[in-house]
Amino acid sequence: MSVTAVRPADLPEKPPETVNYLNVDHTIKSWLLTGDHKRIAILYLISVSFFFFLGSIAAGLIRYELTAPAGWVLESDTYNKVFSAHGVIMVFLFLVVAIPAVFGNWLLPVMIGARDLAFPRLNLLSWYLYVIGGTLIMIGIINGGTDSGWTFYTPYSSMYSNNNTATVLLGIFIAGFSSITTGINFVVTTHKMRAPGMTWFRLPLFVWSMYATGVVILLGTPVVAITLFLVVLERTLQFPIFNPELGGDPVLFQHLFWFYSHPAVYIMILPAFAVQSELIANFARKRIFGYHFVAFSTLAIAGLGFLVWGHHMFISSQSMYQGVVFSLITFLVAVPSAVKIFNWTATLYKGNISLHSPMYYALGFMGLFTVGGLTGLFLGSMGTDVHLTGTYFIVAHFHYVMVGGTLTAFLGALHYWWPKMTGRLYNDTLAKATAILVFLGFNLTFFPQFIIGFMGMPRRYHYYYFAPEYQAYHIMSTLGATVLGLSLILPAFYLTKSLINGPRASANPWGAHGLEWNTTSPPPPHNFEETPIVTDEVYDFDPVLEYEQDQEKKRREPRHYDDFDPQALAENEPKLPDKEKN
Amino acid sequence: MATLAHDGHGDGHNEALHHQFENIDQQNESYVVGMWTFLVTEIMFFGTLFVIYTLYRSMYPMDFYLAHEHLNIQLGAINTCILLFSSWLMVMSVHWAQRGNREKVLLYLGGVLACAFGFLVIKYVEYGSKIKDKMVPGPNFTTDPEKVHGANFNYAQLFYGLYFSMTGLHAIHVIVGILIIAALVRLWWIRAKSVVLDYIPTELVGLYWHFVDLVWIFLFPLMYLIPKPH
Amino acid sequence: MANTPLSHSHHVVPARYYHINLLVLALLMGLTIAAAYWSAPGGVVVNNIIAVGIASIKAYLVILIFMGVKWASPLTKVWVLAGFFGFSLMFIVLCDYMTRQFEPANGWVKNGQSAYPPVRPGSVQNVPDNVNFRPRGSGN
Repeated sequence: MSVTAVRPADLPEKPPETVNYLNVDHTIKSWLLTGDHKRIAILYLISVSFFFFLGSIAAGLIRYELTAPAGWVLESDTYNKVFSAHGVIMVFLFLVVAIPAVFGNWLLPVMIGARDLAFPRLNLLSWYLYVIGGTLIMIGIINGGTDSGWTFYTPYSSMYSNNNTATVLLGIFIAGFSSITTGINFVVTTHKMRAPGMTWFRLPLFVWSMYATGVVILLGTPVVAITLFLVVLERTLQFPIFNPELGGDPVLFQHLFWFYSHPAVYIMILPAFAVQSELIANFARKRIFGYHFVAFSTLAIAGLGFLVWGHHMFISSQSMYQGVVFSLITFLVAVPSAVKIFNWTATLYKGNISLHSPMYYALGFMGLFTVGGLTGLFLGSMGTDVHLTGTYFIVAHFHYVMVGGTLTAFLGALHYWWPKMTGRLYNDTLAKATAILVFLGFNLTFFPQFIIGFMGMPRRYHYYYFAPEYQAYHIMSTLGATVLGLSLILPAFYLTKSLINGPRASANPWGAHGLEWNTTSPPPPHNFEETPIVTDEVYDFDPVLEYEQDQEKKRREPRHYDDFDPQALAENEPKLPDKEKN
Repeated sequence: MATLAHDGHGDGHNEALHHQFENIDQQNESYVVGMWTFLVTEIMFFGTLFVIYTLYRSMYPMDFYLAHEHLNIQLGAINTCILLFSSWLMVMSVHWAQRGNREKVLLYLGGVLACAFGFLVIKYVEYGSKIKDKMVPGPNFTTDPEKVHGANFNYAQLFYGLYFSMTGLHAIHVIVGILIIAALVRLWWIRAKSVVLDYIPTELVGLYWHFVDLVWIFLFPLMYLIPKPH
Repeated sequence: MANTPLSHSHHVVPARYYHINLLVLALLMGLTIAAAYWSAPGGVVVNNIIAVGIASIKAYLVILIFMGVKWASPLTKVWVLAGFFGFSLMFIVLCDYMTRQFEPANGWVKNGQSAYPPVRPGSVQNVPDNVNFRPRGSGN
């Protein structure tokens, strides 16, 4: 038979306090020296959330400063340091890390039926490197910060900026190795540790995307690591690598920096796609439309993503012929992303959509990522990019894909797998309200930025006294940012409350498909009591069964999902045709 | 419904088998593939420097040729021979680890360590003479045209910047290699189960060491044997 | 006296492969040095190609024999190839520099016409008083 969802009524009754990975050992040492991928994922969740909070403080300062045309709170230098801090923290300490390190680490072995990742100790090292790198970055920022932007363009960063740049760069270097070790783990685990019967095309699309992310990490991150290290050498030892006075080429830095940083944005978005596939399939209760297309488009994005970095450099004096080629390939790389959007939309069509909070995030992602992706086409076309680059249009574009894409998917994943990871249910109504507020706040923040960017507002400027008409848009943007910021605090409250006294979750509160739902919430330390054998693909929703279950649900008294009572359900269990159980 | 397999640990007596793996072959191949993915990142790491070097050498061919003449080709060639020989010693130690002969493993690993130290000594001598000649790029770079053999001082600084970066990074990898091999020697010395029952740790260290040799195979002709451009 | 490892499923390569490989590599090393001093007919480019070519052959032998890839699983071989493929992608950077010579515009021409009024370095124009603006070079 297939790996199907387990209906809650089918589950054996278990007493609430079974041994699971969270309560197997309560000592600090067992947490700090753990090899269990699930615990490491939780450690990552805490540290990633912490750094996200710090990055959002910087964002708040930026938005606050921009409400008046004349810089009124921060001086130029300070503002430069604030937006650089925001960029560095958000990119290197949140976006690149969040979904892979939290959800990839937690779910990858469970989804393929393994007991752990291939290299558990390397996984732990990865977390320590992340924390050390993040701490070093924060030391650099607190000591005065770097004002070179998160892009560290030479020769400013290598010759003229202040000495904290070296500290921050070393922090990024170390955090890069954290990323690399995660990538090694994901790639080897996916290749070698799938359960019996779990062929590549029976894998959840989440695993495909995590694998592609791992490949991109392995091929891209070392390049930026050595490039940033060379900038450190230039700063500290005056080594001339990118120094134009000695014949070096600053544009070479840009080439090497973007050689990683463009694939880096795919490291940020491919895991979001991973989450999105899972959410859409399970909340539309339908097999993903065009599974093979989605899987191959993931690989295509990972591959083509290495060939488009020049679109960040159209105005850098790079050869225009190079620019044309990069522009063309940028248009090509948009196609696999669009394929995915089409496939998810087709999955929704005639699906049995249940609107819980993760689905809100998934639907929001569809719209927000589409906007972000389409505006990327304006920027990928060299002719329009010449006018739009360096303006708020770019800022709006990448925030749509990064916040509207990655952060939304991160929140969706958090809400979807929270019951599995913690064994607790949260208040779904509050979660839905948060999702709506996040969506509204986000759009209010960044949509006006498209408009002023198009009108010419430069990015990384804290004053716009030359164009006071932009103020209305900036104020709208700040208002949106306030809504967004406040609404992002809400999950901290209701999720924490769920940990304290939330109802306990069954193994499969969503009725979803996937090996992770075949084990208890939270799972035992080795994930499964016995190794599963897989005989069919994961999204094998049976439309007839789904319809009948849906009819039964409608007939019964409507219940709020977190009043879900397996016992009561078992008593009222509808008499459905006997599906072959094996 | 997924059927549940019996949860055997393959050959359950294998103490070298870690808990997340089913059998020793899966474990061995996972470790080798994992090591190779790490070496792939190292290829990209050093590769960036090779790309930078290629660019600058194609931009300033004559200056790079002239500046490189100050390098000591003999020492570079000796270093190449040392590393090549150490590579052979390393693979022999892995071979004897596979055949379970502790004495031979220790002998060959000791040889590798000796070669590595020899490499570093020669590097120290080389760097010493360069530093004495003020060939380190930066504000104190030499102003003596003879030292750069008539090259443009700026572009010579670029060459030496790359020379020190690339050989320095390589030397750091040699030092790390020495530490890892020393740790491996200690494990073999005390007959630790992790290396006696399983040849893979030795093989992984071997892979790392061969990679160090690989980088030098490319570094030596590119840095020391630049042909004269016309 | 051998402590036999418990896994015999791997292939123990006969040691003579390694000895022969060492000899071949040593010969190639000699060849590298000789080729560096030989002026190739086609010019320096050919010399460079020969040097990199010989180094590549040496690398190939080290990878295949010393690192055991010849006897390794297909997955290992794929990753070895992936590494060098990824490395080769970076050479696209060079295409930028090689195609600049064909660009029609010559870059900034001295005394060329500019659409913007000239700004003396260090000077700032028309900044209102209430703006937190400090020109570069004025401290910190």
